[in-house]
Amino acid sequence: MSWKRIKAIMIHEFFITKRSLEVINDIILYPLLSIIIFGFLTIYLSGATGLIIGKQVLIGMILWQVISMTQYSIAVGCLWDVWARNLTNIFISPISNLEFLLAYTITGSLKSLMVIILGGIISFYFFGTNLLDLGLINLMIYFINLAIFGFGFAIMVLGLIFRFGTRVQALSWGLIAVLQPLMAVIYPVSILPKFLQSIAYLLPPTYIFEAARANTTDLGIQWLNIGIAFLLNIIFIFLAVRFFNFMFNQSKKTGQFARLEG
Amino acid sequence: MAVLQVTNLTKKFSSFIAVDNISFEIKEGEILGLLGPNGAGKTTTIQMLLGITIPDGGEIKYFDKDFFKNRQDCLQMINYTSAFNTLQGRTTVWENLFVFANLYQIDDAKEKIKNLAEYFEIKDLLDSHYKNLSTGEKTRVNFIKALLNNPKIILMDEPTASLDPDIADKTLSLIEKFKKDNKIAILYTSHDMDEIDRICDRVIFLSHGKIVAEDTPLNLKKKIETTTLRLTFDKGKEIIKKYLLENNQEFEFYKDNIVIIKTKEKLVPKIIFGISNEGIWMTDIEIQKPTLEDVFLQISRSK
Repeated sequence: MSWKRIKAIMIHEFFITKRSLEVINDIILYPLLSIIIFGFLTIYLSGATGLIIGKQVLIGMILWQVISMTQYSIAVGCLWDVWARNLTNIFISPISNLEFLLAYTITGSLKSLMVIILGGIISFYFFGTNLLDLGLINLMIYFINLAIFGFGFAIMVLGLIFRFGTRVQALSWGLIAVLQPLMAVIYPVSILPKFLQSIAYLLPPTYIFEAARANTTDLGIQWLNIGIAFLLNIIFIFLAVRFFNFMFNQSKKTGQFARLEG
Repeated sequence: MAVLQVTNLTKKFSSFIAVDNISFEIKEGEILGLLGPNGAGKTTTIQMLLGITIPDGGEIKYFDKDFFKNRQDCLQMINYTSAFNTLQGRTTVWENLFVFANLYQIDDAKEKIKNLAEYFEIKDLLDSHYKNLSTGEKTRVNFIKALLNNPKIILMDEPTASLDPDIADKTLSLIEKFKKDNKIAILYTSHDMDEIDRICDRVIFLSHGKIVAEDTPLNLKKKIETTTLRLTFDKGKEIIKKYLLENNQEFEFYKDNIVIIKTKEKLVPKIIFGISNEGIWMTDIEIQKPTLEDVFLQISRSK
């Protein structure tokens, strides 16, 4: 593993980001807009149902940005090079899959961190919700777990794009939204119908959002939820990496990878 | 020493055999042309040599090392340029090159980029966005990217495609100059036979995924015995026709005063003198020796 090659992809990602208004929109404007909209909803809900419910909704929405940003940065970050017909140039350099994905994971995590910090400041100053009320250690544990899930999800989507080409590229920004209702981001799992609850409990972020909601009344570490989330994340990431490698190999066997930029 | 050795390389896509059991090698400092009609297997071969398509059989060795077992070591010493791949258009030339210099772990990246930009005369373009460059400028930047890691071999897939003749000529001159200054091996594909003839030391013809001919451009041309003789005369069409029929020559009249004769090179003087002795006044004599294109057409059409 070479740090210089990882750094190269991170620099590359930085150069593209700073010169692309749409990327800046996607990673700053839209997430912060969501947080602001849900901030107003929080004020409304606080009046109607009590402060805690409103807080829980806003915190859920801010934490959701970690998954959303990480998976977006990795999947769409890679697509910029597919669209520019530059991906082949990158993959014929000595970079390994691990280095490539690790670089995007770091940049994706940094972007998520930036959104969380900005979102936290906005929610504190404008909507009276302090993210740090969850506890710093809790917040870090949640961030890591959600980022791991976002990373795993992104590389599964990348695997599908490598295997089936750009005709499935919309999955990069659309598929994660399908899972959002199941992860009980802004409401408890208990309100989902029974059969959907079973699916929800297969997803690691569900436990994180449940734990974060619990923290709004109890600052203690939610060991059970965190433990299950961590365990499921390990299984998920293992399967996601296997899936990506399988799809990438299939893509190279069928010649799809070489045609990706055609 | 062989820089690249390919042995029994095969690739199938379902029932279609794109590359059929081909073997060849490239030596240090050699330019090997890979020719063939569309669908002959050239691009698939290059994709396998770059590791972006996995072969179904055979072996690829760079510097005597198995490519798929030593992927990173091999890729560190090879590079690639093609008219069909571009760099990232949103970033500047310098930013693109800096990223690739880091991917290839070049220690003095800034110095290296500066020197190559001077060599290829694009120093003024380093701060321009790649997408704003002309096709010729992009080709030169792609060449710099391909040379950043001091490769021992470069795979070039139609690097001059879509360039106008003047820029294509300059690009070829750059390749020739660079080959002279450095001992780089090059695998070169192109549809332009004159280009291949000009820069390649050796040529491989692919047809339906198989190697159907392999030699120097000169020797390949020698294999075609037919020379085209074009005679322009003022009058005497029937006399010429009679003479050529009597001498069993293949010919056709392009116009009433122009005849095109396909014959063996050694018979050309005999035909010219023979027609002259019949009292024909020839105003123009043009001898067209076989070109690599004739070889290409003969091979393509015979398969």
